[in-house]
Amino acid sequence: MHLLRTTSTSLLGATLIATAAAAQDQRLDRLDPSVRPLVASVIDSARAAGLPTEPLVQRALEGATKGAPGEVIVGAVQRLVADLGEARSALGPGTTPPELAAGAAALRAGAGPAVLAKLRRARSQTITVPLAVLADLVASGVPVDSAAAAVLALASTTRDADLVEFRRAVERDIALGAPPGMAVSTAASAAYGAQGLQLDAGARQSRPSRP
Amino acid sequence: MAQSLGIHHVGASDGELVRRVRAGDTGAYTALVARYRDRLGRYAVHMLGDREDAEEALQDAFVRGYRSLARCDDPERFGAWLYGILVNRCRTAGARAARRGRLFVRDDAALTRAPLPSPAERAEWDDTVRRALARLAPEYREAFLLKHIEDLEYDEMARLTGAGISALKMRVKRAREQLQLIFREAERV
Amino acid sequence: MFEHSENVIERIVAHLRRPVQIDPAVDSRVMEEIAGGPTPRVSGPHEAPPAETATRAFQFVVVAPRAARVALVGDFNDWDAARTPMRPSQRGGPVWTAVVPLSPGRYRYAFLVDGSRWLADPAAPAARDDEFGTPSSVVTVGGS
Repeated sequence: MHLLRTTSTSLLGATLIATAAAAQDQRLDRLDPSVRPLVASVIDSARAAGLPTEPLVQRALEGATKGAPGEVIVGAVQRLVADLGEARSALGPGTTPPELAAGAAALRAGAGPAVLAKLRRARSQTITVPLAVLADLVASGVPVDSAAAAVLALASTTRDADLVEFRRAVERDIALGAPPGMAVSTAASAAYGAQGLQLDAGARQSRPSRP
Repeated sequence: MAQSLGIHHVGASDGELVRRVRAGDTGAYTALVARYRDRLGRYAVHMLGDREDAEEALQDAFVRGYRSLARCDDPERFGAWLYGILVNRCRTAGARAARRGRLFVRDDAALTRAPLPSPAERAEWDDTVRRALARLAPEYREAFLLKHIEDLEYDEMARLTGAGISALKMRVKRAREQLQLIFREAERV
Repeated sequence: MFEHSENVIERIVAHLRRPVQIDPAVDSRVMEEIAGGPTPRVSGPHEAPPAETATRAFQFVVVAPRAARVALVGDFNDWDAARTPMRPSQRGGPVWTAVVPLSPGRYRYAFLVDGSRWLADPAAPAARDDEFGTPSSVVTVGGS
């Protein structure tokens, strides 16, 4: 009982400190006074849960600049909190804020948590860019499964810059009229090297080293 | 042979600055830009006949020069190499401006109606020369400026323009003849 | 006035050989553009040459004819329309640019024209996680 009370007290304390932190963020003054406390409270809860708050602040400020109604801004921030939470569950502890933000975007685009978890295992370096590329590909009309398979196959051996270039190639081909699914497999094969690429989620051949 | 462009420097040599830029010291490029800005700018202003177009072409040439610095085979000749880029940029800018129809007065009547240049009125003389230059075909104007204003040798001009030496000599000759003719016409009015 | 043709040429040459002073601001524009990207200017954000630091300069370009002012807003500047005004091309043409340093990550952004009209970047991926009914774009900054 005593232990429980201590824990509750410290959680409450953390929330109070967090509330103070959000309340003092002058950037949120750009929000309508009727909306500001609600947004601050959502952000505080996220902080208490150990989620990054900067993407939430940015989302709220975007809404303010775009002149969105208060309830739309609050709803958008709440949805982003949920996405960030789900991304963290899928990607595990130690995930960096940029990875969480990109992961949330990938989830919103339609990639499942399992894909995020596979990406985490597939690559030892940061997976911010693979996650962002995945989100962008799906946004370009590439079916989620094809996009996920291609990014998974490339993630372990491909540098960030080449992944971004891969995404550009896909978008270029789509703009030129290629069906999105075909565009992604063509570009992935080119990015992967001459030996070809099996676009299933398990395909992870070693890639020739770059000159 | 940066000297063939008549350019003399104090301080770090072009080669030294180019090597510093290639080693990652982007700031060293500022020194090269400042060194060649006015000199190359003069060519662009006379070639394009419009100061804003000229500054844009010049800026573009410097940026392209930076981005392809790895292909500058002889860093000591950076100035001459950059000239080549600028000549190309001016050709592109000139063609674009001609399509826009906003550059180069091709109205012969306007020129012959123009008042005679008076040595006392530099602005008028300036304007007359500018319009006379504008009446030359671009390749004549280019050859005339490189030969007589920038003091290049024909082999250097051939390297920069991709034209043969005899063709360049012919262009310079035609440019001179046309300029003389234009001014004779102006005199008769 | 021009009795001898050769005199005319000499006078023209002397006139054209006078030094021409170019706006020294060309220097800073060149350096800014160099920081903005390794490729000739087209649309979309372009990564600068590799830098030692984690932050890289990106150049944003938008074509906005008849605009009086254009602001770049996004996750990197608090969506603050006053923070990153874009600069028009030199003779007031329709091309507007801004250079922003970005650290690795995914950023959403948009262009705000004359304080009221929103434009996405046609050369960048569209942000589908847009919640506010106006288009936004995405730039992804890699670390490797």
